[in-house]
Formats: sequence, C-alpha cells, structure tokens
Amino acid sequence: MPRRVLGLLSGRIAVGVLIAVALLAILGPLLAPYDPLEGGSDLLAGPSGAHWLGTDYLGRDVLSRLLDGSRVSVLGSVQVALVALVAGVVPGILSVYLGAVFEWVTLRLADTLIALPFLVFAVAVTALLGNGIPQAMFTVGIMISPLFYRVSRAATLAVARSPYVEAAIIAGASVGWVVRRHVWVKVLPPIAVALANTAGVGFVVVSSLTFLGIGVQPPAPTWGGVLAADLGYLTFRPWAPLVPTFLIMATAWACNLLADAIRDVSGAAGRTLLLEKERRRVAA
Amino acid sequence: MSLLELSNVRISLHGEELVHGVSFALEPGGVVGIVGESGSGKTLTCRAALGILPEGITVTGGSIELDGRDLDGIGAKEWTALRGTTISAVFQDPASYLNPSLTIGSQIAEVVRVKLGLKRRAARERAIELLGAVRLRDPAEVYRQYPHELSGGMLQRSLIAAAIAAGPKVLIADEATTALDVTVQAEILDLLRDLRRETGLALVVVSHDLAVVAQLCEEVLVMRAGEVVEQGTVEQVLHRPRHEYTRLLIEEHEAYGWEKYLVSS
Repeated sequence: MPRRVLGLLSGRIAVGVLIAVALLAILGPLLAPYDPLEGGSDLLAGPSGAHWLGTDYLGRDVLSRLLDGSRVSVLGSVQVALVALVAGVVPGILSVYLGAVFEWVTLRLADTLIALPFLVFAVAVTALLGNGIPQAMFTVGIMISPLFYRVSRAATLAVARSPYVEAAIIAGASVGWVVRRHVWVKVLPPIAVALANTAGVGFVVVSSLTFLGIGVQPPAPTWGGVLAADLGYLTFRPWAPLVPTFLIMATAWACNLLADAIRDVSGAAGRTLLLEKERRRVAA
Repeated sequence: MSLLELSNVRISLHGEELVHGVSFALEPGGVVGIVGESGSGKTLTCRAALGILPEGITVTGGSIELDGRDLDGIGAKEWTALRGTTISAVFQDPASYLNPSLTIGSQIAEVVRVKLGLKRRAARERAIELLGAVRLRDPAEVYRQYPHELSGGMLQRSLIAAAIAAGPKVLIADEATTALDVTVQAEILDLLRDLRRETGLALVVVSHDLAVVAQLCEEVLVMRAGEVVEQGTVEQVLHRPRHEYTRLLIEEHEAYGWEKYLVSS
C-alpha cells in the first residue's frame, strides 16, 4: 500500500509536506537563530535581515519561536493520534470477540465520550492533572478514540461473519489466528485513513489548546501560542498571524490529503476525488 | 468404535425444535450421506457436529460423540483443538470460503503451522504436497495464486486441501459439489473417494442430489422438515424406498435427471 500511496500525486504532496514538517520538528530547535525565550529591546518589529519574521511584544524573535515550537506541536499531534489508535482499535476488535458484557460496556463508553465536548473536557482534565502537553494530548486522544473504536469494530464485524472466517474456524483457528490473519488486513485500511485524519485533527487541537494557553507553560513557544500572541497586536503587525496559521493549516491539510490518498488506494473507492489521470495511474 | 456417533440429536431455536432426532454412526473410512430439500435440517446437523451452530440455535437432546468423546458442553478451547485435527468440513461456494486477500498457499500453510506446529518452510512444503494431493495440476503455482485467479473446481480442491491439512479423521462435505458444473462435480467426487481410500478419511456427504449420494455413500439418511424419514444402506433406500418422500425424490430424479435423456435418445 505505501508504494501505491506514493503513486498518487496527492499522496506524494502529502508525504512531502509531512516529511518537511517532521524535519522541522526534529531540526527546528537547532535552526533557531535566537533563543526563543529571550526578549530584546526591539518590540513588535517588522521583518528585517536580523529578524526575518519580526519580533513579538516582548521583543522575542518570531522565527525562532516558530522553529522551536514546532517540536511540541508535532509531537502533540502524533501523541493524540497514537493514544486514539491504541485506545480505540484494541477494544474495537475485542468488542466483537469478548462477549456481550464487554461489547455493551465499551459501546456505552464510546457513546459517552462522543457526547462530551472534547476541547472543554481537555481543559477540565488539564485543570485536574496539571497543565502539561502529555496530559492534554492523552485526554484529547482518549476523546477521539471512539472514532477508531467504531471504525475497527465495523470492519471486524464485517469480517467476523464472512464465510472464510468460518472456514478458518472449522480448520481449527483460534480467535487470535482469525484476528491476525483475517481481521487485521480488513481493519488496517480504514484505520490508516482514520489515523491520518486524526493526526490532522490532533494538530488543530494542539494548536487550539496552546492558543488558549493549555498544555504548555506560557514562555515555552508553540505554533498556537505564537498565533495567540500575534493576534493581540494586529494593529502593529496585521500580517503576522498568517505565518503560524499557514504552518498549522498546511500540516492539517497534508494529513487530510494523505488520508484521502490512502482511502483511494485501499479500494474504498466510489467516493474518490481523484483526477481522471491519477485514477488511471492507480489502475495501472 | 465409531468415529462420529449421533444418537437422537435434537436441535432447537429458542424452544422451537428444528431437528427432531437424528442418529447415525460413522466408522473409520465410512461414508454417510444425508439427502433432503433445503431447510430439512441437513446442514444444522452437520454444524452441530462441528460446534458452529448459528447464534441462538442449540443442541437440546441426544448426544454427539466424536472419536469416543462426548461433545456436550465442551469449551471453546477444546472445540478449537478438535476442529481441523479430528473433524473438518467443506461447503458450497468455495470462493467465499477463502480469504480473497491472501494467497491459497498461505491459507493452507497457516493451518499446517498452527495445528501441526510445522516451521515456515516445512509448512510450505506440506501445503504444496496437499495441493498436489487434491490433484491440482501445478501445486507450486497454485500455492502463490490468489482465489480470484482460480476456477470454481480448483477453489473447491484448494478448500478441500485446507480442510484436510491438519489430518482430520472426519470430513463433512456439505453440498460441496453443488455450485460446480457436472464434470467438475464428478472430479471432486472422485477426489473425495480417493482421499477416503488413501487416507482412511471418513465422510459425511450432504446433498440434495441423490446421484451424489448414490455414487459415494454406504449409508443414507433422508431428511425432511427436521425429521429422518428413511435411513438405511444405499441399496435399500434408493432401490427399495419405503417412505413416500424418498420415492418422490427418486421419481423426480428420474423425471428430471439426465438418465431420461440418455434413454430416450
């Protein structure tokens, strides 16, 4: 599947952007020309040779803050996606096999989580557990996990009743074997789509939370935090919010594009948005 | 001692009895046939012996003994251990009984690996051997093919190979030849007969087609609406039927079967 995703133009663009973002997260803090926490005397300056993106209200270099903040933002969204994946897929598959009680309990838990407004809930949990990115992202991940639960459960249900699974059972297959051999391959494509989507959502959520000052202690830079600071001084630097906004949007968009590409090559076609040329390339 | 012995087995759905007492004994290397129209309880009887009755349907009377062991109330683990190694089955529509996204070979090798504990390479060799044993012309080629690349007859052979991979003593063939055209049907029946002779496999052959049963079986049960209306040797049942329904089946077969055209032409 990975090779076929890269066969699509949209897949290549998405992967390219995400690699760039990943590099930014890994190398960003090293590339920052100034200390992102140290203010200067030059407040709210426009772009210049010394400060490419200007300075903020404390005179800190905005470029340095964005570069340094990329790691927290990206790691946060990855964490959201992974927590959601594990917390959703495992009970999702098991709900089909572990009997009616487990099924009922997990279904009701999923319903409950879906009913909660997650940004508000995340704020509440960080108030309880302490204001840190891991706590906040863990909470958001749990809040999103019903998506994975539903998707993996639906795929598992469809396979569990298929004749070939029955044939495997007659051949003496245990539940573990059925899951490993037959369920897993059917669950994987929709999960890959959901994962890419969730990384995008997670990214926006991390940015939203950091924008609100939740998840990170104030002086530490994040993309959402830079955006929040910029919005306070629109009169002085009206263009400034565009930079962090662009970074957030491009990453979330690349995640969604990747999700689309995975869906297109994994045969869940019919709703495909591919160009005709690309579609022919997929077929070939 | 019988390999598979059903005595007065009754099967019900929520208190409503669907199968009203089936008894037969299958000796090692023996063949028992069950004929009857759809809905007569043939398949339910087989599923009871495999422990895969649909949800809500249970065995409510009688006993099933497999290889000297009473199957009443045995747990899921024990069922898993029995299936494949002691009893196995093939069904109608082989295409849907193989996973379309896995190669034929990997599906058979998996059975051998898990049930017989063979290593990867040994399992591969054994799987190819099995594909050869079911008379597939190029076993090594079929091993790496996907189900969609094979014809119905080849798929049924592959499915039989998977079913006998762990060396079961009893094989249930539930309408195993129904979806195939007549020549392929004859080949599969030959294959089953040969397997029986070569490996001592005992067969339960379920069909609505009298010809299939007549070719293969020693003992026949005729079922209708959950009731065994006639039971005996093939000789007795097909040539001297006592029950009206059996006579009807035979007459219909004579009226619509190919024999008629053969005689008149």
